[in-house]
Amino acid sequence: VPTFFQTEEDFTQAINATYEPLRNMYNLSKNYLTEMSSDNTYYARNTAFGATEQQEDIADHAIPSDNGITANVHVQNVYRDLYSIIARANQILVTIDEADFDAGVKANIKGQALFLRAFSYFDLVQLFGSVPMHLEPVVDREGAALPLSTSDAIYAQIIEDAQASIPLLPPKSAQQPGRVTSGAARTLLANVHIVRQEWAQAETLLKEVVSSNEYMLMPNYEDAFSGNSVNKNNSESVFEVQYREGSDGLQSSFMYQFLPRPIEADEVGALFGTSDAQPINGEGNNIPTPDIIAAYEDGDLREDASIMYIELRESFWNDGVYPIIKKYVEQHALHFNHGVNFPVYRYAEVLLFLAEALHEQGKDGEAITYLNQVRTRAGLGAHTGDLGEAIFNERRVELAFENKRWFDLVRTGRAIDVITAFGNRVFATPNDYYYPVGAEPRGNAFSNITELYALPASESELNPNF
Amino acid sequence: YSQSSSVSGNVTSADDGYGLPGVNVIEKGTTNGTVTDFDGNYSLNVENSNAILVFSYIGFTTQEIPINGASVINATMTEDATALEEVVLVGYGTQIKREVTGSVQTVKVAELADIPVTQVTQKLQGQLAGVQINQTTGKPGEGINVRIRGQLSISGGSDPLYVVDGFPIAGNINTLNPAEIESISVLKDAASTSLYGSRAANGVVLVTTKQGVPGQTNVSFNVSTGIQNVPERGRIDMMDAVEFAQFKKEYYEDQGDPVPEIFQNPSQYEGQTNDWYDAMLRTAPQSIYSLAVSSSNEKFRSSMIAGFTDRTGVVLGSDWRQYTLRANLNYNLSDKVEIGLNVAPSWVIDRTPRTDGTRGTGILFNALHTWPIMPIYNEDGTRTEFNRFPAETGNIFAYANWLNSAERIKDETRNLNLLSNAYMEWRPIEGLSIRSSLNAEFYRERYEYFSPTNATSAINRPVPTNNQGVWDNRDTFSWLNENIATYNKSYGEHNFSLLGGFAFQKFRLDRNRLEASNFADDRLPVVQGAADINRNGTFDQIEENTLVSAFSRLTYNYMGKYLFTASIRSDGSSRFGSENRWGTFPSVSAGWVVSDESFLENSETISLMKIRGSYGVTGNNNIGNYTQYALVGNEQFGRTVNGVFGDTFAQGAAVNSLSNPNLGWETTKQFDIGLDLSLFNDRVSFIYDYYTKNTTNLLFNIQVPRESGFSNFSDNIGEIKFWGHEFSLNTVNTTGKFRWTTSANISFNRNEVVALADGIDQVFGPSGWHITQVGQPFAQFYGHLSDGVYLNQQDLDNSPQVPGRSTVGSIKLIDVNGDGVITRGGIDDDRAITGNPFPDFTYGITNRVTYGNWDFSVVGTGSQGNELLVRHLYSTTNLDGVFNLLDDVKYRFRSVENPGRGFYGTTVGGGNVTGIERDWINDRFVADASYFNIRNITLGYTIPSLDKYFKSARIYGSIQNVHIFTKYWGGPNPEISVQNNGQGDGGNLEPGVDISGYPVPRIFNIGLNLNF
Repeated sequence: VPTFFQTEEDFTQAINATYEPLRNMYNLSKNYLTEMSSDNTYYARNTAFGATEQQEDIADHAIPSDNGITANVHVQNVYRDLYSIIARANQILVTIDEADFDAGVKANIKGQALFLRAFSYFDLVQLFGSVPMHLEPVVDREGAALPLSTSDAIYAQIIEDAQASIPLLPPKSAQQPGRVTSGAARTLLANVHIVRQEWAQAETLLKEVVSSNEYMLMPNYEDAFSGNSVNKNNSESVFEVQYREGSDGLQSSFMYQFLPRPIEADEVGALFGTSDAQPINGEGNNIPTPDIIAAYEDGDLREDASIMYIELRESFWNDGVYPIIKKYVEQHALHFNHGVNFPVYRYAEVLLFLAEALHEQGKDGEAITYLNQVRTRAGLGAHTGDLGEAIFNERRVELAFENKRWFDLVRTGRAIDVITAFGNRVFATPNDYYYPVGAEPRGNAFSNITELYALPASESELNPNF
Repeated sequence: YSQSSSVSGNVTSADDGYGLPGVNVIEKGTTNGTVTDFDGNYSLNVENSNAILVFSYIGFTTQEIPINGASVINATMTEDATALEEVVLVGYGTQIKREVTGSVQTVKVAELADIPVTQVTQKLQGQLAGVQINQTTGKPGEGINVRIRGQLSISGGSDPLYVVDGFPIAGNINTLNPAEIESISVLKDAASTSLYGSRAANGVVLVTTKQGVPGQTNVSFNVSTGIQNVPERGRIDMMDAVEFAQFKKEYYEDQGDPVPEIFQNPSQYEGQTNDWYDAMLRTAPQSIYSLAVSSSNEKFRSSMIAGFTDRTGVVLGSDWRQYTLRANLNYNLSDKVEIGLNVAPSWVIDRTPRTDGTRGTGILFNALHTWPIMPIYNEDGTRTEFNRFPAETGNIFAYANWLNSAERIKDETRNLNLLSNAYMEWRPIEGLSIRSSLNAEFYRERYEYFSPTNATSAINRPVPTNNQGVWDNRDTFSWLNENIATYNKSYGEHNFSLLGGFAFQKFRLDRNRLEASNFADDRLPVVQGAADINRNGTFDQIEENTLVSAFSRLTYNYMGKYLFTASIRSDGSSRFGSENRWGTFPSVSAGWVVSDESFLENSETISLMKIRGSYGVTGNNNIGNYTQYALVGNEQFGRTVNGVFGDTFAQGAAVNSLSNPNLGWETTKQFDIGLDLSLFNDRVSFIYDYYTKNTTNLLFNIQVPRESGFSNFSDNIGEIKFWGHEFSLNTVNTTGKFRWTTSANISFNRNEVVALADGIDQVFGPSGWHITQVGQPFAQFYGHLSDGVYLNQQDLDNSPQVPGRSTVGSIKLIDVNGDGVITRGGIDDDRAITGNPFPDFTYGITNRVTYGNWDFSVVGTGSQGNELLVRHLYSTTNLDGVFNLLDDVKYRFRSVENPGRGFYGTTVGGGNVTGIERDWINDRFVADASYFNIRNITLGYTIPSLDKYFKSARIYGSIQNVHIFTKYWGGPNPEISVQNNGQGDGGNLEPGVDISGYPVPRIFNIGLNLNF
């Protein structure tokens, strides 16, 4: 076991590094695995460009897999990033109790490490089901490859870690902005219970978040999201992935991935205000579908805050006017380098989680009060129809493009049906789904719709256990 | 009483009666002397008409003839049986060639003096059996890959150890000016190399530089100048403008889409081809100068040499200049004490644009696949800046003008190398010598890159763009102290030599790198003018390592015909784990000079017959520093681990490697048996060696699953077996005025992976193009096997397919695992070994002819059975028409009725279909790269007796890289091996890859040697 981490400063650097893989993951691959895999977004086919099947395979539910193994690079990226977080957290957790420094700081760091480990395993178990579970640092080659643990064992560990982190972490008002807090830990644990349909536990935790008075909805929906350099970690933010514009390697660029193509330099420049705009080719990802656009009720203020339209004069598709995700479009200085944070948990989701937990326990009246907080800000009145469906749909539009939709479809058991129907629509009217006239979806599109992703081939080559 | 007078005469060889040129004639006891001219004539003013003249010549008995007042003294030189016993360099000393028991080959560099290349190792091509020397790129001053006996390591280095005047150099052997070199010995077997212990597994190359010759003062001046160009032969056959437009027209027609206007009439481009690759090339001059002065007397010997090489590159924007000086000084303080000092500074300025490498990083690759309808020049003759067609034409990657990229981007390395050593030798009693030396090497490399706003080497980046700069400075300093005692003693016919010594060596690297962008002004490329410092590319680095050694060798022979040598070395290296730091490297060898036995002694046929055998152990510690430790840093997987919270920067630190306290030596055990045979009074000499080597505990930074949080673990794993046969033959075909000699060699090297780690039977190359698998040779090409294209619907229906992607006319791959579908990824998919980068055999042949004053030589080298991975096909056969294509693609499948040659697939279906052919690397990418290269032809003429002006003069003309005979179609250089980083040698797990690199030029050269 390495002995480098000894002082408060050492452990502070170690915990800072533990957050880092989140930047990589939310900048690219996680968005494909958990949003573009849903009916909220799709790719915009560029018939002049090949070599984009890695993303297409995800959106098309056509990932080649063999015995539960796939070579898809985005699956591999997310898997690697999550285990990087886990390994760094383990390095901290294995020795922090023995280290000699200020108890308050120590508790804070340990709480962050426990949170990040729980968060990572929660993503892993939702994406893959059974995965290897490392709880101590790997020190040799033999220890690097573990057998798969059952999802129950992994959930037990997630719950243990998340629970342990809550009392260790300070509330948002006492924490450095951007780091995880006790409120974030309660939200994470509540999310775990909701996935496991343990509604009462979820309700308790969520009410603690609400009653902490640490959070409130931003008056305008569009202000809930980080600017390029302002409005970060605002009062609605429970946890968001932190980026900073510039040349320190801390920047984000995900919004560039979300543009349809080919797009000319001046079109990119007009959108972002950059001084060195460049054309981008390839294929556009995370392009809002007609389905999500239709999901906004009339008068929903969130539609215009979430989706905008741009016109590409070199596009092959119709008139070249595409919807794009507006939430993350912010002005910045240099090409492919913005500082927009990516939301992980917002207070709006706490309210919707609470509404759902209450509704599932039959407390509809109370549930509606929380649902309505969200709807009111969106300029909408009371919901109509079935409350459960209303909450589910509210989540779709409120949290659109925040990597929630795919997990919601899976945890509610709707994934196969919804995606099958979505696939049928794509095949029936490909031109509505950004295929130029005459272009067809690939023959294998929507042929492999599964709730879990296959494990990465690059790992299976090295781990004899799978 | 004495007086000065003039003496002249003629010196002939007793063997054939012809005049002997180059014989030293010295007035005994003075420094007064001369050298015979080409016909053996000399003339000398002697100070004392009663003096004695000493005639000496290597290989002949030295004669002393008293003048006795005569004015004409002729001499007849006889070959000296003992002087013939050439002395060769071996580890830590010299040995009479006849008594060498190991496998050692020596090259006299003088014979290679006319080869107009700038790197020492280039001159050795084809000269040595078992030594494969490939020129992997034509970049001036770079890219020579030397492998002795096919040695490989997985991640330890495979380059031989270079020892210059006793000093193992840490820097770059190519900074040495070839003109300074006297001779080179290559030590191949373990008995010869194991005295170098821990670093000897890859073989040792011993270099000695020119020392003053006793009793002579010589001044020589050499100049050669020539022009270089890139031969047409071997250039990649790409489509011209008409063919390309035709391809694009058909592309749209086959898809049933309207043809964009610019492709509707391909014949409009007749004569309008823009050959971007050709435009990057030019005919370029080169000049090499050297001036050498050596002067000696009994007390003092000195040799000084200055050199200047000016080579303009054949690719635009490249040039290379080297300035060298060397002073070798030896002084006898007394009969018993000698001191010496060698100082050799060299200075190299190398400007070479990023020519080698893949799309977007290598500008030659960019030029190769740029559309031939894109104009290089505007109508007014100026260069275009940027080329872009509307997206509807499929021009998805716009291109800058690569000629501008080559010339406007500054890419310059300046090296200062200072090699120096000093020694003192004390010979207290007869036979005993004690020598202590201190060697130091200071190497400084300053790299500067500046890409201004009006140039880029990236694709699809419009200019003007952001400017960016990189500064990378490295200082390395290494010193070595060696203390060696040697004792020679004979008791009757028993001859002993005992050597013992110890050594300390230390190495330190200081490096700082700075990467910045967005400079306010291109004219101020200084860091304070940059708006942004790129944190990922900006760092300091300090590394050190230490080696401590003790070594000993005993050489014994009886009557000079029963030969025996044993040696042992023990090394401690700081590079290894605390548990395994020390290594011991023993060797034994024996020889029997059969021809000295009574039954052969008087043989007319056999002049030498020696059988020798050796066994020994050597090590390899070329793994970089600190790999045994778990390291903590603010970077992992190439990304900073620093953080930001809100707007506050937060320093991060992560454990980014695993420790291994057991990490230890990679060891090679080698057995060698050899035969040396000379026949017909040495008219024919023959050397044969058979060797086997087993390398075990291979140093390997083996991949571990990323679930561990790490990517690799440094370990000693596995075993590779090597074996081979080497033959060398030297013949004197004719003697006399027309003298013709031939030397030829051929080597067969093989390897097989015997074991890897527990539970690991194969490892893949970093790019997935190679597999190293137990039971197979190392690093075989790996990919899918192809079988043409699906010719029709029935063929498609009856064949395994890539689900959702295979169509009629797309590439048909073989279902290796027999599961009915074609898959890629994981161990049990449909990939298999597709080729072998290693040759069946390599060979070299040199013929030299002299006729009177004329001399003529031809050097050829060859390699048979090696294959290359033609990596650029992923771009140059990209069926989407994004890039220019290989001419052959016009014979692709277009329809069931028009299947072309059934090889390249249909363009219909886009990347989903065409991507398989392009991205799923397969056996089509593998090409036979066997070749025979006429490396050099030289014709020289020695100007007879102009001794009023100079002692000797010679003019010559030579052609380097005359012609390559090869069927290789992937590019001009069948010796290429470029990884996608473009840095030359592609790493041991990834050999033999052609991504298109700097072409190797042909050089037409003329030269003049003058000796005063």
